[in-house]
Amino acid sequence: MSGGKKKKGMSLTGKRAVVGLLFISPWIVGFLAFYVRSFIMTIQFALSEVTVNAGVGGYTLKFNGLENFIYEFTKHPRFPQTLVTSLQDILIDVPLIVFFSLFMALLLNKKFPGRTLVRAIFFIPVIMNADAIVSAIEMARSAMMGGVSATSAAIAESSGSGVNMDYYLALFKELALPDSLLDYVVGAIGRINDIISASGVQIVIFIAALQSIPSSLYEVAKIEGATGYETFWKVTFPMVLPHIITNIVYTVVDSFTSSQIVEMAYDTAYKDQMWGLSSAMSFTTTVIVCLILGVVCGLIQKRTFYYN
Amino acid sequence: MADKAGYKKPKKVNYKKQKQLNRSKAGNGMLFFLMFICGIFMALPLVMIVNNALKPLDEIFQYPPRVFVKNPTMENFSDLFVLMNDSWVPFSRYILNTLIITVSGTVGHVIVASFAAYPLAKHNFPGKKIVFSLVVLSMMFSYNVTQIPNYMIVTWLGMNNTYLALILPAWQYGMGLYLMKQFMEQIPNSLLESARLDGASEFRTFWTMVMPNVKPAWLTLAIFQFQQMWAQTGNQFLRSEELKPLQYSLQQITAGGTARAGAAAAVSFIIAAIPIIFFLICQSNVIETMTTSGMKD
Repeated sequence: MSGGKKKKGMSLTGKRAVVGLLFISPWIVGFLAFYVRSFIMTIQFALSEVTVNAGVGGYTLKFNGLENFIYEFTKHPRFPQTLVTSLQDILIDVPLIVFFSLFMALLLNKKFPGRTLVRAIFFIPVIMNADAIVSAIEMARSAMMGGVSATSAAIAESSGSGVNMDYYLALFKELALPDSLLDYVVGAIGRINDIISASGVQIVIFIAALQSIPSSLYEVAKIEGATGYETFWKVTFPMVLPHIITNIVYTVVDSFTSSQIVEMAYDTAYKDQMWGLSSAMSFTTTVIVCLILGVVCGLIQKRTFYYN
Repeated sequence: MADKAGYKKPKKVNYKKQKQLNRSKAGNGMLFFLMFICGIFMALPLVMIVNNALKPLDEIFQYPPRVFVKNPTMENFSDLFVLMNDSWVPFSRYILNTLIITVSGTVGHVIVASFAAYPLAKHNFPGKKIVFSLVVLSMMFSYNVTQIPNYMIVTWLGMNNTYLALILPAWQYGMGLYLMKQFMEQIPNSLLESARLDGASEFRTFWTMVMPNVKPAWLTLAIFQFQQMWAQTGNQFLRSEELKPLQYSLQQITAGGTARAGAAAAVSFIIAAIPIIFFLICQSNVIETMTTSGMKD
């Protein structure tokens, strides 16, 4: 290394630590510049009353302690409820998305003609998610004559498909299936489209993960006479486990940043002009989601196998 | 003789049965059928966009809507260029802006994230855990909520109304770092150790051992970072017309309403096509690496 002479007194581990810091420094510099300040400012806003100086520009902060936090939990009409619903939504969606995408990735990892194209098809929802494209599609839809909205409303009203869902749900209840399980299944079926279109990135990450499993492991499994089922649970699954964590993190972040609670924080800031309260809201939810994520990932990380 | 043959036969049958259990043709067929059905739903918006771009105006407004075009024409594209020739800034300028933002944002992010992920995965240094929790925390920060602080920071750094306002913050996205770190952790330590023993510097180890081994990871990262950068409208930071990206021009055209539906369809097609092409190029290079070949532990 270039600085070798200067650091002669350093131990090998110390030297490696320095090299490590060197490698990470570009990221840290950028992080300090762009993110840390915004984090500190959010906390600052959350702990004070923010008033925008009309006409002059800028804003004034008046420290008021934990008032915003107390307000959001005790006086705000919808915050606690929305928080619970959003968290519930995330908890329902995440396992479904992760397992669906793992399953899809396993299929797409097989060799068949046109494989790359099929993979691309599953990435399309991610591409179509761009704001500008969404609005363009929306416009194309609304451009198709004024009668459309009236018609679709009529369709929605009369759409009895002949199956009475409540009847079947009552039947399952008779069988003493717990309500929460039924709710979960019904919720999952209702969201199936959302789930598929939210798994584009996860599928791609899993494909990369599957491709990084050394083929020698499969060879050994084959020679030892393992069945496909055994190979999956003893080779594929453990090797993919770290990336299940990655995908859980990605999915949680993805569904969190588009959840109702974040929307509510946004509205509080830009519609109601309550900047302090909005910051307090987003701070609270961020901390809660981070805690959940920490627990889940900690649990999985413990069972993860690494080479060393 | 006959007995011996009798003993051998059941063994063979068993073996064959086992093989069939693993990969039955019917099972494969079912799986592909399932995939096919999911795939149709995924592909539909794209099919719509492609067809809309080729539809003459009367077909775009047709109700009930038809997916496939009846009389394909290139009218929409020529409309687009006529429309754009009248505009303040030539259309190619929007394309150039998007390309600059996307390419530098993607390349920079992949490099910075990989550099940062390497020590997080393979080195020990004080504060490593704190750095890592900061990474996760930074991902949680919803863009919508931090808009104001972000704007103030960018202004404070004097980057308002430059490409840098979009490019530099993108280099520090937490997700890429996280992804790279997870993949690098799986590289056997002994592989890196052998490189060091052979006298390779840390940088060289990183460049010649680590990066090739996590090629699927950084190609994947490039795919979705590219998409993220490509989707930037730059509305809040870029004010000069000649700096604005393609997505912004699509929004402007869409806002033009019914009269520009054809041109909007054409731009949508261009905007959707490029990331897909990029995806195809990257994805076809995601092939198995050789992490552990030659490892004996």
